[in-house]
Amino acid sequence: MGSTLSDGGADGPLTAFKIVIAGGFGAGKTTLVSAISEVRPLNTEEALSSASVSFDDLSGVGSKTTTTVAMDFGRITMGARLVLYLFGTPGQERFWFMWDELCFGALGAVILADTRRLDDCFPSVDYFEKRQLPFIVAINCFDDAPHYDPADVRIALDLDPRVPAVLCDARQAGSVKQVLITLVEHILSSRSSGGSEPWPTQAATGSRL
Amino acid sequence: MGSGDKWVDRNSGPVVRPYALTGGRTEPADGEVLDLITVIVAARTAGEIDDAIRLSPEHRKILGLCRRQVTLADVASDMALPVGVVRVLLADLIQEGRITVVPRRAGGQQPSTDLLKEVLHGLHAL
Repeated sequence: MGSTLSDGGADGPLTAFKIVIAGGFGAGKTTLVSAISEVRPLNTEEALSSASVSFDDLSGVGSKTTTTVAMDFGRITMGARLVLYLFGTPGQERFWFMWDELCFGALGAVILADTRRLDDCFPSVDYFEKRQLPFIVAINCFDDAPHYDPADVRIALDLDPRVPAVLCDARQAGSVKQVLITLVEHILSSRSSGGSEPWPTQAATGSRL
Repeated sequence: MGSGDKWVDRNSGPVVRPYALTGGRTEPADGEVLDLITVIVAARTAGEIDDAIRLSPEHRKILGLCRRQVTLADVASDMALPVGVVRVLLADLIQEGRITVVPRRAGGQQPSTDLLKEVLHGLHAL
């Protein structure tokens, strides 16, 4: 609270980025976010999609057409001008409608994989491929989960050879940091290789104010 | 995925329905849907007291939070209100010129390579 009015001037405009953390229910998304940032709760009151209506028992709630989706997000401050946000996707299929909002304007995504339930990752892989949002796969090494070679996971998920797949421990800040670094490096390298890579409308001369 | 059955609604929800705070409005007054990481800040020229009576306590709390640059996600979290509700309230303040949206650097939807490198350096420095 001591910084009243000072930020806008001396430090220049704040720039915020976001990275989406996806993965199945219980894959460790919140653990990952909290390992490296302060985690804060976020609620959305969303219109129930027709898909979710079939999942939700609406009998007895009359005309209820919205549902509250509780999420967490992390905030990493980098110096005075940059802030990186980590948004975990809601793990349930019926919250797909939230993904567009979360992914809009995101730098990229990390799909957190649990080798005991790899098939949970398929929807995320499909989604990011369709959206052409750069992503990497981080295999969370749970103590009691079988340890697989990332190459095997890559095959199981049928990943594009350019998409990195790395092992991580979502509880360890250093490990999570490395995951994020891998993602940003992947975004940078996919840009420099140009061609058919994502970023179809990279605005070199974006003159929007 | 088959995990839908594991979802448990921990909160039965607030007593006052969230959109009561907006007078039932669910769309921002200016039709502009702010992204979760849109950076906003209170306008520095805005008078402090003149129209305080017209503003709801929520509007005033948002103004307080926006004394420094913050994002929509920050404000919604600090207010403990759904994002959609905060969007509507923020739009009121933007329309009144009390809050301004901080333009993104480097224009365009995607950040420049230089900015990405800044993020990379920032991560390494953590």
